[in-house]
Amino acid sequence: MLDLLVIGAGLAGLTAALRAAEAGLRVKVIAKGMGSLYWATGAIDLLGYVGVADRAVTSPWARMAELDAGHPYRRLGEARIRQALMWFQQSGAVQALGYTGAGEENVLTPSPAGAWRPTWLAPAGQRAGAANDARPMVIVGFQGMRDFYPHLIARNLSAQGQVVRAALLSWSMLSAQRDRNNAQLAELLDDVRTQQRLIDALKPVVKPGERVGLPAILGRYAHPQVLAALQAGLNTAVFEIPTLPPNVPGIRLATALRHALEARGVRVEIGMEAIGFHAAAGVIESVESATSARPLKHRANAFLLATGGVLGGGFNSDHTGHFWETVFDLPLTVPQDRRQWFRPGFLDPQGQPAFRGGVAVNDAFQPVDAAGKVVYANLWAAGGLLAHMDPILERSLEAVAIASAVAAVERIASVSVALPR
Amino acid sequence: MRRLTTDILVIGGGSTGTGVAWDAALRGFRVVLVEKRDLTHGTTGRYHGLLHSGGRYAVKDPQSAIECIEENRILRRTHTHCIEDTSGFFVVTPEDEGDFPDRFKAGCAKVGIPCEEVPVKAALRREPLLNPRISRVFEVPDGSADSFLAAHVTAQAAQQAGAQILTYHEVIGLLTEGSEGARRVSGARVRNMVSDEEVQIDAALTINASGAWAGKLAALADIPVRVIPGKGVMVAVNHRLVNTVINRCKMPADGDILVPVHTVAIIGTTDERVADPEMLSIEPWEVELMLAEGEKLVPGFSHARILRAWAGVRPLYQEGYAGDSRDATRALALLDHQQRDGVAGFLTITGGKWTTFRLMAEKTVDKACIQLGVERACRTADTPVPGVEQGHYWLGHRLHEVEEERLQGDLVCECELVTRTMLEQAAANNPTVTLDDLRRDVRLGMGPCQGGFCTFRAAGILQELRMQAPEALPASNGDGPVWEVGYMQSPRHNVQPKPAVLNTAHSPLEHPNLLLRDFLQERWRGVTPVLWGRQLKQERLDELIYLSVMNIDHLPPDEDASPLTDFWQFDTTPGAGRATRDEAPISNFQSPAKE
Repeated sequence: MLDLLVIGAGLAGLTAALRAAEAGLRVKVIAKGMGSLYWATGAIDLLGYVGVADRAVTSPWARMAELDAGHPYRRLGEARIRQALMWFQQSGAVQALGYTGAGEENVLTPSPAGAWRPTWLAPAGQRAGAANDARPMVIVGFQGMRDFYPHLIARNLSAQGQVVRAALLSWSMLSAQRDRNNAQLAELLDDVRTQQRLIDALKPVVKPGERVGLPAILGRYAHPQVLAALQAGLNTAVFEIPTLPPNVPGIRLATALRHALEARGVRVEIGMEAIGFHAAAGVIESVESATSARPLKHRANAFLLATGGVLGGGFNSDHTGHFWETVFDLPLTVPQDRRQWFRPGFLDPQGQPAFRGGVAVNDAFQPVDAAGKVVYANLWAAGGLLAHMDPILERSLEAVAIASAVAAVERIASVSVALPR
Repeated sequence: MRRLTTDILVIGGGSTGTGVAWDAALRGFRVVLVEKRDLTHGTTGRYHGLLHSGGRYAVKDPQSAIECIEENRILRRTHTHCIEDTSGFFVVTPEDEGDFPDRFKAGCAKVGIPCEEVPVKAALRREPLLNPRISRVFEVPDGSADSFLAAHVTAQAAQQAGAQILTYHEVIGLLTEGSEGARRVSGARVRNMVSDEEVQIDAALTINASGAWAGKLAALADIPVRVIPGKGVMVAVNHRLVNTVINRCKMPADGDILVPVHTVAIIGTTDERVADPEMLSIEPWEVELMLAEGEKLVPGFSHARILRAWAGVRPLYQEGYAGDSRDATRALALLDHQQRDGVAGFLTITGGKWTTFRLMAEKTVDKACIQLGVERACRTADTPVPGVEQGHYWLGHRLHEVEEERLQGDLVCECELVTRTMLEQAAANNPTVTLDDLRRDVRLGMGPCQGGFCTFRAAGILQELRMQAPEALPASNGDGPVWEVGYMQSPRHNVQPKPAVLNTAHSPLEHPNLLLRDFLQERWRGVTPVLWGRQLKQERLDELIYLSVMNIDHLPPDEDASPLTDFWQFDTTPGAGRATRDEAPISNFQSPAKE
């Protein structure tokens, strides 16, 4: 019998499982797909924008009081968020990726469009691209690469005062084949011969004193070595800029967490979409997942829902305005009227109301109904499905996932002895 | 002010206007066509794509039916590659009671539309998703048309015959001379929407082919023309539920046509009389109606993934008519303003439908010949436009060429199979001001992700092209590039292109952030009326990409506006705070709506 079944393999689900395993719980993860880490930048965003202000947040802690009272950060409080992020940063699981921050302030690193994006922890591969660095940049791409355009990045960074220029290398030095996605390109660079070709091609391009920005394809499995080899070969700082998704830094993070779970004997079962559940007297007994033959039952003492919001598949909706949570049909704070879901602008600074709603929880991160009553005694929730926030708009996606997952698991660990076995 | 002199000035770059320019140029007239935006930006680019056999009008409007079947046959020869030979079914659903099916069959026979009754079983084998409760099926030679491509190749044919095509040139005034009772229109003043330059065009004859805008245009010369703007809403689902055009066998009404077009199926339409041809907003009830009617043709329709909804405004015209727009005639209306209003040198062509655009052009230029006192025969019915040798469009055509040429690695739009060189050639060889122009050229951003991936790529590629462009390009004289659109849709044809040189002088193409914002906002406008389920998930991914990964809402500001900005700002989803043109200019990335 499991102590905890985690549903969802995104950042919230994976960190929850890792934290639970560390706490000695018997835990398993089931998920429909690979989780949305594959799309993300691989950086850990804490809080990038508040309200409709145009400026990026400098000190996230100072701005949290401005968030909605029900926001997960307001429930957690600064200390618990800091602890969770510290735990993540120091976790052996992600040690090789070298997450660092800038003390008490956000780090600004270049986006693939050439905007500065505010983040809290940047992986080592992205750290040398930070804005508070006087060195000029050269952004280097590859002719015909679909998901990375150095001229666009340079143009926009330059418009914001960065000394930067762009260059293109031939595609053929990476691969003889045109049809390669970002993850495949990264795997090609795991090979030292490809690394050497890249170093040789970069040498005549890079001017003394310049730091070098490259698409985030610097190694799929051997990323730290590739980064080190390039820095040594060019004798200057080298950094990655995320690409149009899929994003290799996000894939690396997912892979690192999966490996750490595997090493602890925690199973992550992908292709297991949760499609139903059994509950009695307000206690969930099992969750069912779809297989080709018949539904499979997963029993556990506690359940953590980390299926994400609309993007992760945690919510679905239809043309009648019905908007529902897909596993337990939990109460949602989303308006049940389509006319209230959207604003006229895709880029409206207030975001879209449909994406602000979600699963309301109490301070223990247990889903509650409109009256504030716990829905199921042994159900917790974490990550993108939580209500009272829009983590994509706020740029809080990753830290919300980590902090809420850790908080929920700590609660589960503390009460699990009391749960029926 | 620059001045041009021409025989015929055509106003409007839709199917009718390009058709008139083509016809007139083939007859040896000097022709200038002006369009205030991109070709097909108006109603032509907003229709469901049905090439009528005439069946729809066989009972109600036999004259229209005859015109349709005749033109259907001609367009299959002259615009072969713009047409998919889908064939069409008229199906009798349980809702369609009465004697209409027999009247339909008789009507088709009377006007010469080939019509064969197909056993229901055989019809369901061909279209397995059709409502199994249909009782009768008639097959007619309907087709599916690419109205974007057709207008562009028609414009290219016109240009090859000597016509000058000026897109992004808005008419700001008609030139009139003479006193009351003996007035004549002698051309127009137009403004280049990109450079702001004004041009005076002196013309022996001015033809108003501005469709639903014909009344507004004629008003510039104080001529009353009452167009009945009939708004039609269409909804596209993300794949071809059917491969045959499906019509309900009943009196034409709302939501009774389902057309397979390229990779999607489109249901249409409504018919609402609106006050202004720019009123393209979509009401929730209109979407619900399309879904409910779709269910009658294809059970489960309302659970299909809906990509987008949009509206077009029909340019219906009926002298003295005051009723409902659904019952207004679909026949063409050619107004000779000399006879009608005592104003010489000015014709208005409106009404009609896409299928009869060539005929409308023929009749108009016939009249022009009379007015100009010359006798020149129409040649369009026997003159193929560039690219017809490719044969009819077929669904697998792009995929086939991408696979044959191994172009998978060069796809910038995976949904619609657009290669990088297709995009580059379209940007360089067709007048391009916004990414929306490239959408009409190569279908960029029209698939399930609605621009999620290709918008960024297109902006990046255009920026690269711009950096590679020679420092000083020859000053544009406003005539624009040579159109090359016959093979625009072919990945193979663009494998070894000539170098693409982008002329971005004074163009929004200089402003990649503006291109990004405008196209994303424009795509959003068309998805919000139908955003739920999987398409909502897709849209949230687009948010993750453009907000979280790209942070494009915090890019340094570019120019405030392009011609596309004006469009998405003006017409937004109802109930969510309608923006108007009167509001103050907005900051670069913020929506005009204020709470």
